[in-house]
Amino acid sequence: MNAIGIPLKEPSVAATAADAEQLERAMIDASTRVPVLVFYTSAIAWLIIGTILAGLVSFKLHSPDLLSGVSFLTWGRLRPAHMNIMVYGWASMAGIGTAIWIMARLCRTVLRYPLLLVAGSGFWNLGVLLGAGAILFGDSTGYQWLEFPRYAAIILFVAYSVVASWAVLMFRHRRGEQIYITQWYLLGALLWFPWLYAAGQLMLFVVPVEGVLQSAVAWWYANNLLFLWFGAIGLGVAYYMIPKVIGRPVYSYHLATIGFWTYALFSSWTGMTRLVDGPFPAWMITASIAATILTLIPVATVGLNHHMTMQGYFPLLRYSPTLRFTVFGAMSYTVFSVVGIIISLRSVARYVNFTQVSIGYSHLGLYAFFTMVIFGSMYYIVPRLVGREWRYATLIKLHFWASAYGIGLMILMLLAGGFLQGADMQNPSLPFSESVETVLPYLRGRSLAGVLLAAAHFIFAYHFGLMLLGLGRQSTVPTFLNPVEAEESEPH
Amino acid sequence: MKGLAPLFLGIFGTFAFSWVGLTVIPNWQIGHLNPQSDEEGTDVYPQPQSGMAIRGARLYAANGCVYCHSQQVRPEYIANDIERNWGSRRSAPRDYIFQRPVFLGNMRMGPDLANVGARAPQEQKISASGGGSGSSPGSGQPGSTRVQAQSGPASTAAASPATAGAGSPAATKPAATPAPQTSPSQGPPAVAGGAAQASSPTASPAPWPIRTEGLPPMYSAAWHHVHLYSPRLINPDSNMPAYRFLYEKRRIVGERSEDALQLAAPDAPPEGWEIVPSYDAKCLVAYLMSLNQSHPLKEVRVGAPAAAAAASPAPGGQLPR
Repeated sequence: MNAIGIPLKEPSVAATAADAEQLERAMIDASTRVPVLVFYTSAIAWLIIGTILAGLVSFKLHSPDLLSGVSFLTWGRLRPAHMNIMVYGWASMAGIGTAIWIMARLCRTVLRYPLLLVAGSGFWNLGVLLGAGAILFGDSTGYQWLEFPRYAAIILFVAYSVVASWAVLMFRHRRGEQIYITQWYLLGALLWFPWLYAAGQLMLFVVPVEGVLQSAVAWWYANNLLFLWFGAIGLGVAYYMIPKVIGRPVYSYHLATIGFWTYALFSSWTGMTRLVDGPFPAWMITASIAATILTLIPVATVGLNHHMTMQGYFPLLRYSPTLRFTVFGAMSYTVFSVVGIIISLRSVARYVNFTQVSIGYSHLGLYAFFTMVIFGSMYYIVPRLVGREWRYATLIKLHFWASAYGIGLMILMLLAGGFLQGADMQNPSLPFSESVETVLPYLRGRSLAGVLLAAAHFIFAYHFGLMLLGLGRQSTVPTFLNPVEAEESEPH
Repeated sequence: MKGLAPLFLGIFGTFAFSWVGLTVIPNWQIGHLNPQSDEEGTDVYPQPQSGMAIRGARLYAANGCVYCHSQQVRPEYIANDIERNWGSRRSAPRDYIFQRPVFLGNMRMGPDLANVGARAPQEQKISASGGGSGSSPGSGQPGSTRVQAQSGPASTAAASPATAGAGSPAATKPAATPAPQTSPSQGPPAVAGGAAQASSPTASPAPWPIRTEGLPPMYSAAWHHVHLYSPRLINPDSNMPAYRFLYEKRRIVGERSEDALQLAAPDAPPEGWEIVPSYDAKCLVAYLMSLNQSHPLKEVRVGAPAAAAAASPAPGGQLPR
């Protein structure tokens, strides 16, 4: 125990755990080592590539003549390439890596045939590489988040089937009766994704629906990918990491149950809010807006649950990198949802539709929420896989602050700039070009925020590289962000 | 939570609910719309796109135009899309039945393009209800009087025999009163005598600091090529990227090529050289020229003054603001 009376090492379970349990965990960690590290390494490589593309996209938006002469560097190709690399390369692969590890831990089963998963990640990488290359060479389908042409999509789907069927198999071999909250979310995500992906591909490319319904399907897909795939993984991981790090059970199981089912029910209906006032039957859009408003229920229950779990343990944010990233992500989830509700209301949507607000909203969900949670889980999991602790607390701190300030500034710029852009666009006395002029300074600010994020990613990639090479600290104590006073008071 | 069955059922159930609700049921409702036509079965709208336009749509997707340009006009009681002259009426599902993919878009860093083809100068306009300009079966029908209603400066009597030649009595009336013709290359076709009856608020000159001198008439195919090749030659404030990789710079052999770009300094090629569009660029422009929702739709009601506009739609030639 330290000065603040809070255990900082393994959670309370560890204190009571028998040696057998410790051994079991070590064996599970060992069995997941190779596949999870392969997924993480690929994810971080894609993160770096995606960051470089993001920089080009952001700068080119306000400096359009930059590198515009080359076909594969034109803005309209770099943007989808960046987006898909971040979505399928970084976020999905990192999410799968974390999901594998947590699933194995929670099912209390060693990972069988880990090489199968390595093959899955190989296929996945191939799919992303082919898809991103196809976009850059002019073979994009033109649907947001589904730009990969069919040949890349099929490879991605095969890779996914390998990973998912394996994860579900692991679930069948689980030990213990209780199914923890995180497992609901992860199982949900793993089962929703293939249906979603298959439905999107089939209804858009194989047996395409007619006319505007293609847009409806595309946005239904994109929003569900955000909520039912990334959102579900992110929430599940937060439900695991927060109690684990502070060593205290989740505040309420009942709240968690309500939160999960209302989340699944309502968030899956929100897709049409990106098409408010579009050429659709009004009921479709109204239903989506209503569902978006109803997502207040899962948001409130999940937020309350996390908050009550953390109650009294907030000082720990000073020390634990995992906790700091995860709590930042969990709080962003609330912000993300509230912003989503506000911008879906018809009276607001008529201003912010067609503006940078939608970009800000996506970054809130994918970065401030999901990516931060995943960073947190990586800070927890990687040391357990490589048997070393993170080498530099300073680098973790730099990573956190660059990420937090970077994404905060970016979202501020996009939301504020977007609202002003929308107000100008809606003002008939101003020419259209005025709305573009208005938003440009904010886009320059966004580029600045992007520089911060890029710095954060390079720092993280370097630190992760050190860990992979076995250059981490050899210690039994995790790397804390700040020196723990407790250690001085403890008898040696 | 105990028991797997409820968990699995719930996971599938919630998803199936959303899938059926947001994709399957709408597919029953609006997934099988047909083109509309008048009683004689003529004046069919919309009509399938031409081969070049279909290829152009693929280029539109490949080069990410959709990330900055929407293609949907919102109703007048919600937004001022119509006031901006982006269309004469709101878009409806039927407008899109032949489009694949559909580029509704959700970003406007550039203006809406749902009716960019309808803004073309008269002689180049591709009828909304037909593939070819003027020669489509519906062009002489009362329902598609768009062709005559609009007589921009660019639509000279000499240039429009193809359209007026349809011979319908309705077509002769506006054609008989063409707007005073100045020089084809001077000024955008904004001041339109024939469109005065339309509900458009102004017939003012270009609202943007747009350069028009020495350039092709606005929204003509040649103009689109210049715009794609060098957006800031036309609008110095534009932040649209240039798509020069769709164009070829080559030495003039013999005579200057017919579709060489009509560029001004500083983007004009050196003496003895010319910039010509590739086949892809031509397809992309063909696609842009095909975007035209000005044909009235039965399910879209328009206001009283706009009703006249619907019969003789406004967007053509009117500069969007």
